[in-house]
Amino acid sequence: MGTVAAPHGAGEHWSEADGLHLEVRGMAPPGPFVAIIRLIESIGGQPVPVIVHHDREPVPLYAELAERGWLAERIDGADGEFRLRLSRAP
Amino acid sequence: MASANTFLGGAAGRLLAPSIVFRFFAAALLFHLLGWLVLLLAAPSLPDFAGGLGPALAALHLFTLGVLLMTAIGASLQLLPVATRQSVTAARWPYELIWGLYTLGVLVATSGMGAELPAPLGWGALALAAALLLYLFLLARNLRGARGMRLVVLHGWGAGLSLLLLLGSGLSLAGAYSGFFLLERIAAVGVHITFAGYGFMGLLVMGFSYILVPMFALSDNPAPAWSHLSLGLALAALLLALAVWLGWLPAWLLGGALAALGLAWLMHVALMERSLRSGMRRGLGSSFVLVRIGWGCLIASLALALLSEFGWPIRRAPVLFGLLLVGGLLTLLLGMLSRIVPFLAAMHAGAGMRRPPTPSHMTAQRALDVHLYSHCAAFLALLGGVCLDSVWLLRGGAAVGALGAAAYLVFFGKAWRRMTQTLSKKDALERSKPA
Repeated sequence: MGTVAAPHGAGEHWSEADGLHLEVRGMAPPGPFVAIIRLIESIGGQPVPVIVHHDREPVPLYAELAERGWLAERIDGADGEFRLRLSRAP
Repeated sequence: MASANTFLGGAAGRLLAPSIVFRFFAAALLFHLLGWLVLLLAAPSLPDFAGGLGPALAALHLFTLGVLLMTAIGASLQLLPVATRQSVTAARWPYELIWGLYTLGVLVATSGMGAELPAPLGWGALALAAALLLYLFLLARNLRGARGMRLVVLHGWGAGLSLLLLLGSGLSLAGAYSGFFLLERIAAVGVHITFAGYGFMGLLVMGFSYILVPMFALSDNPAPAWSHLSLGLALAALLLALAVWLGWLPAWLLGGALAALGLAWLMHVALMERSLRSGMRRGLGSSFVLVRIGWGCLIASLALALLSEFGWPIRRAPVLFGLLLVGGLLTLLLGMLSRIVPFLAAMHAGAGMRRPPTPSHMTAQRALDVHLYSHCAAFLALLGGVCLDSVWLLRGGAAVGALGAAAYLVFFGKAWRRMTQTLSKKDALERSKPA
């Protein structure tokens, strides 16, 4: 089965019913890491989940998220995609 | 649809077992302490050091082989697969063999240097060569299989080729004490210093900084055109220097190589500074104080070499050059490592956990502060001791350096202890679950 093409440009974010989505597929390291942290910083204190569309598991991200009081959970994504749901730790 | 039945545990393919990477770092930090202690003994011979067997050569190689290369090997074996999206070799034995041979090689070779015994120096050099060739094989495999990160990969190839030249010239220098050599001493020393300091270590530091600095500062990647120009200048300078040392080009062209290398480093540091200034995270603490001192020393080493090349009478220029080059790389690397170790410890400890531990939980900040002040004081005392011909200043500097190295070991030990405690708790929890 082939990889589904990303409908949004790398670094682009948009709102959907389940939260704020961020497309980071195709970005060179540490681009995705920086884009994700930048987005969750811009959200401030709002309880909005962030859905990240990645092409690999962002190994170094979890420690940085933990430092900022955020949690990550892998959710179902398209083929070839590593999709994460980020939320503030309760 | 891709399955989501794993919870943040699937990163294992790109992470080496923590015991593998941390053993390289642990050995490097023990050699760091040993280096300062041997320098305490070597202090009287330091101002007039011009090579040759003895404690000063042993101290120098405890810092270069023991700390710089050991850390670079451990870090590159872990960072490259993560950055270039590929799995690490599943078997542990190649890493364990490299570490075992390399550690033994450093101990035997530096003992031979310190005790002025050519035979152990030769055997140690052979163990080092075997370990480095195996490391080069793994490095080349990682670089060949890399997906993306062209700039880092190009730096990696440059570093790998530099390591071959460093190894060849090192074997020639070690073998000369037993009557076997490939190059005349002056050429071998020139190639050895150039490709150790600015080739292997310099290119590896530059390449990894393009990932690590924006990641730590939370800033955008530097402009690729300028990064490539900096790399191109560095590679051209290294090739030019090689041709001069081997006698293929006239000696006066060495000044051109030094100037090009200086320009390459200035560009690199300017890109890194821009990245730091534009980043979301401003307070990078003591780690980036050390990194900035390291950058300054590396550029100062090239400026000093260039002035000497043009005939400026600078007292004790070769020893000051060596202090700036080795001290600069050491300072930069210890600064980077103080960020990498807690981050890596948190990554390993937190794999598969819903609430992973934070890097700051893994950091012993007081120990890092003691190291920062001790390291800077030691470095200044060494520079002053060489300029003023003061053995007591040199001894004082080495003693304070040893104190700083002990503090750094405390920082490392805390990160290791907290990581293993978390991993043990996780294991116990797993075992207590019903089958």
